[in-house]
Amino acid sequence: MELLRSTGQYSRRILVTLAWRYLWRNYRRTIIMLLAITIGVWAMIFMIALLRGMVDDMVQSSLESFLGHVQIHHPSYRDDPSIVNHLPTPGSELREYLDRAGLDWTARLRVPAVVSSERESLGVTLMGVKPDREVRLSKLPRQISNGRFLESPDDPGIVIGEKLARRLETGLGKRIVVMSQDPDNDIADRGFRIVGIYFAELPAMEEQFVFVGLNVAQQMLRVGESVSEIEVQGPDFREVDWFYQAIARLKPDLDVSPWYERDTYLGTMLRLMDGVVLVWIIVIFLALSFGLVNTLVMAVFERVREIGLILALGMRPSAIMGQVLLETLMLLALGLALGNALALATIIPLADGIDLSVVSEGLAMMGAGSTLYPALYWQDLLLSNGLVIALGLLAGLAPAHRASRYNPVEALTKT
Amino acid sequence: MGSRFLAGAFVCLVCCSLWLATPGFGEDQRGGEPDARAILQAAIDHWRGTSSYAEVTMIIHRPEWERRMAMRAWTRGEDHSLVRVMAPPRDGGSGTLLIDKDMWSFAPNINRVVKVPSSMMAQSWMGSDFSNQDIARADDILDHYEHRLLQTETTENGLVYYIEAIPHEMAPVVWGRQVVQVREDHLVLQEDYYDQDDRLVKRLVTHDIATMDDRAVARVQRMSKLEEPGEWTEVRIDAIDFGVELEDRVFTLSNLRNPRQ
Repeated sequence: MELLRSTGQYSRRILVTLAWRYLWRNYRRTIIMLLAITIGVWAMIFMIALLRGMVDDMVQSSLESFLGHVQIHHPSYRDDPSIVNHLPTPGSELREYLDRAGLDWTARLRVPAVVSSERESLGVTLMGVKPDREVRLSKLPRQISNGRFLESPDDPGIVIGEKLARRLETGLGKRIVVMSQDPDNDIADRGFRIVGIYFAELPAMEEQFVFVGLNVAQQMLRVGESVSEIEVQGPDFREVDWFYQAIARLKPDLDVSPWYERDTYLGTMLRLMDGVVLVWIIVIFLALSFGLVNTLVMAVFERVREIGLILALGMRPSAIMGQVLLETLMLLALGLALGNALALATIIPLADGIDLSVVSEGLAMMGAGSTLYPALYWQDLLLSNGLVIALGLLAGLAPAHRASRYNPVEALTKT
Repeated sequence: MGSRFLAGAFVCLVCCSLWLATPGFGEDQRGGEPDARAILQAAIDHWRGTSSYAEVTMIIHRPEWERRMAMRAWTRGEDHSLVRVMAPPRDGGSGTLLIDKDMWSFAPNINRVVKVPSSMMAQSWMGSDFSNQDIARADDILDHYEHRLLQTETTENGLVYYIEAIPHEMAPVVWGRQVVQVREDHLVLQEDYYDQDDRLVKRLVTHDIATMDDRAVARVQRMSKLEEPGEWTEVRIDAIDFGVELEDRVFTLSNLRNPRQ
């Protein structure tokens, strides 16, 4: 008696033992429930990792398509991206800050232009780039399928996309003419020899961008040392505000903007993902909770007489409640442990990416690559495990409460 | 020399024909052998300062249809020209004004004068086989090419020079090379445009030479695309007066919009 009535260490250990034994009394039911939780948790974590991976890939790929983490423009450039709205190349002050903060940057001229071959002429975006920096920050210059990328800002050649080359009916080693306007609205044009051809996931990109050396472009467009935009990249696209704000303070007269503002769709999508993860966890949990509540209600129902006996012997109702909740917790913890282990066991071998080339065209339209890299974040792990335990205990509260409210006499006489 | 064709487009069709109107042009100082570049230089210099008024018919031919436009063209020197469409009524009143390398066009249905932007320079001029650029570029032929006299041929109407022009590496010219046939009496007989694989793409041929207003003129010229048989544009000079007095106000935006002649 004394044993059960005491609230000390000893009685708690008895509660744990009781809960554990009750759990395995009907082991088939428990195993089935465990399996359900395991698979539910696995689906939760695995799907979240896939979704995160896909979105990260889309964001990363867009950032590497001349978006960068932070861009600096002339204040009117966003309304009118013409050659008139140019800005000087980064001055020593800005460069010093960027170097000190360990940020990578590049500057480029970016103007609408027309390229012509003997048979066709098409509108494009002319990019005057610093090749060594551009290769680090953007992906197209790394995706050369034929020839080479530009070698220096003075390189007299031009690099165009595969699709553009096909539409112009031209090719490597041929000359094409690029035509644009200088700041005085006069025609600026020049012939270029194609030194390289790049490929992109999106054919539309292959048609849009042509690359020439920055110095050559500045000379052709008669803008001196000016550029259209400065792009800055930091170590992590989720953490850009610190240097974005520092640059904005440094250059108050220019338009400094972070990527999520330049591409609001992308920024919104990334934020939306947090919501999607939460909804996904809750949906899976809801499906699980029916099984969970049923299991617990059955477990309580089966042992009404025992509960009556223990109550008659003097155990407090709160201890009965605690015992059922403990049982719930054990079930959930076991399921979570197995589910997490299973999820890790499937995600880690897939770290090199899942080949989705079968559906690559559709993915490309969404801006994603044909290889999917699952991305597991500890925040997501924590959130899903925490939510399952919290909501699971909440679901266990009803049967536990009911068990603690039995009248010992009635319970004992129940057949 | 596609560009010289501005000198080409009608305006200059007219001009083309005059091109080499200086006798004994281009004789190289070293003697005997004529220098190709000097021939062109002399032709352009000769053209400088000539003014004209012409009535022209442009025929745009396609396999399924054909369209005729009656036009009037005023030129002064090599860098002022105005072309106005007179018929068919649908296109009547639209026009093109060229001053140096700048080009404006007027469309009566929208009642607007538009400066032709660089992005439209490669597009077709009034639906013909000439591009805006063909029309607008005059003197590029000297700056942007390396010239060479390929051969001379003696015909019953006189000596014909074959001049090959190869664009410089950085020149804003898409052609691999061009070959111009110029007759001794300074008429352009034919101009061939080759792509960079040396396939013939476009050809401008003078079909009829006539004496008009006391000068030999290429009366009918036809530009055809050899890769699309049955597509060509022909320009016929119906009447032309040389040496007309043209005031500055002829070549203004307001005159382009509201004709006063």
